[in-house]
Amino acid sequence: MKESDAGARGLRVLVADDEAPARDKLQRWLTEQADVAAVSLADDGLTAAQAIEQQRPDVAFIDIQMPGLSGLEVAAQLEESTAPLIVFVTAFDEHAVKAFDLNAVDYLLKPYDKDRLLRSLERVRERIGAGTRRTAAVATARAQTSSSERLLVPDGERLHLIESASIEWLESDDNYVHVHVGERRYLLRRTLQDLLAQLGELRFARIHKSGAVNIGAIASLTPLFKGDYEVHLRNGRTLRLSRRYKDLLFARMGR
Amino acid sequence: MSVAPYELSAAPTGARASDAAPRPSTLYWLWGAFWLLMIAVAIQDVLHSPGISWWEPVLWEGSSAVVASAWMTLVLRSRGYHAQFLDQPLRWFAYHLRWLPLAAVTFIPVVYGVRHGVYALVGRSYGHPAWSFVFVYESVKILLYSGLWLGIVFGFDSYAQWQTQRRRLLELQRTLAEAQLAQLKSQLRPHFLFNALNTVSAQMNVDVARADRLLARLADLLRLSLQSGERETTPLRDELRSLELYAGIMLERFADRVTLEWRVDQSLLDAPVPALLLQPLLENAFKHGVERSLERVRIEIAAHRDGEWLRLAVRNTGSALADGCRDGIGLRNVRERLSVIYGGKASFELAPDADGVSAKIAIPFSA
Repeated sequence: MKESDAGARGLRVLVADDEAPARDKLQRWLTEQADVAAVSLADDGLTAAQAIEQQRPDVAFIDIQMPGLSGLEVAAQLEESTAPLIVFVTAFDEHAVKAFDLNAVDYLLKPYDKDRLLRSLERVRERIGAGTRRTAAVATARAQTSSSERLLVPDGERLHLIESASIEWLESDDNYVHVHVGERRYLLRRTLQDLLAQLGELRFARIHKSGAVNIGAIASLTPLFKGDYEVHLRNGRTLRLSRRYKDLLFARMGR
Repeated sequence: MSVAPYELSAAPTGARASDAAPRPSTLYWLWGAFWLLMIAVAIQDVLHSPGISWWEPVLWEGSSAVVASAWMTLVLRSRGYHAQFLDQPLRWFAYHLRWLPLAAVTFIPVVYGVRHGVYALVGRSYGHPAWSFVFVYESVKILLYSGLWLGIVFGFDSYAQWQTQRRRLLELQRTLAEAQLAQLKSQLRPHFLFNALNTVSAQMNVDVARADRLLARLADLLRLSLQSGERETTPLRDELRSLELYAGIMLERFADRVTLEWRVDQSLLDAPVPALLLQPLLENAFKHGVERSLERVRIEIAAHRDGEWLRLAVRNTGSALADGCRDGIGLRNVRERLSVIYGGKASFELAPDADGVSAKIAIPFSA
């Protein structure tokens, strides 16, 4: 549905690069395109992530080397199913970039000429037209960065990174996830499944259909009726462990 | 091309030094052997003379050996002082030989006193020619042997000094070559080069003249890196010029994020400084300060004179020194070159500043 939207109203594009001339060049050539409706700009990784979260562009041209959060780290923090198509722009086919599919939308090497940019844009259009919006960039970027160690969370108007070791548990609520860190609670517009895919299954384990716990935060377990358990966290909170996930959790805890 | 200098630097320089330079103990062995030979020859000489016991030649030569060894010790002790005259042999010999009259005057009483004493102890008397003859005879002998041994010491010391100088020259050439290679590599580093080219490509669509200037500047910088100068020092003016080229390109890329300040005492522009010394420091300021910081960064390049010191500094805001961080190739090379060129008479310090990092160099000032 969204795909046909993009076709009708034109592409909304985000350009993220920390170097102004590089940003200007992309912006200039992109706005010349008839089917590009809007080009917004970001000058560092965090701003780029924020812009993607708020504006939900169709495609993002992201420079890899940026201060704060690199382009790969930005991609790794996005939800796979809702992420825009990503074109990495880089001065060098760095090791990380080699992991991407050469034929995919995936990257543009600096300096590039207009033809090459237009070819890249053409592939973006093809993908959007074909409805294959899902990008492999997010999964690849996650594999290339230590995205399981840090999580980008909204904090008021801003986004900031928290250590995933500090997260006690995750609670899903429709298309949102509550991330519990001490007394704080962050609300992310993502599915629990996607979040667990990013954070890795090593640190977190599901305890019921809509909850997962940081194994390191568990203090003790108490058996309940019908095979269910109570999970006591170090901070005093008690969660319920459904018997469906019991064996998995026990195996991970070495019991 | 990139391998050679690193192989050189991998070889421990200390090991090479001790292999090549003559060990001081060789001289002591030679001295001992010389006197054993003198004693042996003396014994051999009197073997067929009836009425002379074997210990007598041992006493004659032994007493001379003891006194001569005392002088030799003095000569060797003062080597450090005389080393400065090694390249003026006449002066070196003159400084030693001026003690000769004193040596001759003290040698005869001491040596003959010992001999007379020992003969008296065994109840005999030591017979020798008249004192006037003894004095002339011994003085000539002292002059000949002193000349021989001073020649040997001179040979040993000048060889050692030549070795040291040659080693220093090799070190100078090696560290300079490494600095040149490091600069070339950093300018050819794809991240720098392709981003610079992309900036030119971006400018070209807005301001052709400016793009043209930028391209020329990039070419100048590359040309400069490809020149491998033979001299390890360069006037401060030239060093600053290459910094300006590099900074000019970086300023185009990051104009909105960096301010550059030059605080250079214009009277110092002709002062010699090690070539390419500041380059890695400025690169670090951009790499760690500007490229990784979200805020506007200020970089300051300073040169001023402080008495006998020429003080150079590159400061940047926006970055902090990580605890226990190790020097990269660039900083290692800076330290190494300062120590090779100036011995212990230069300093380099990388320290946290009020709101950033500052790299400070002090070298002896020479006009």
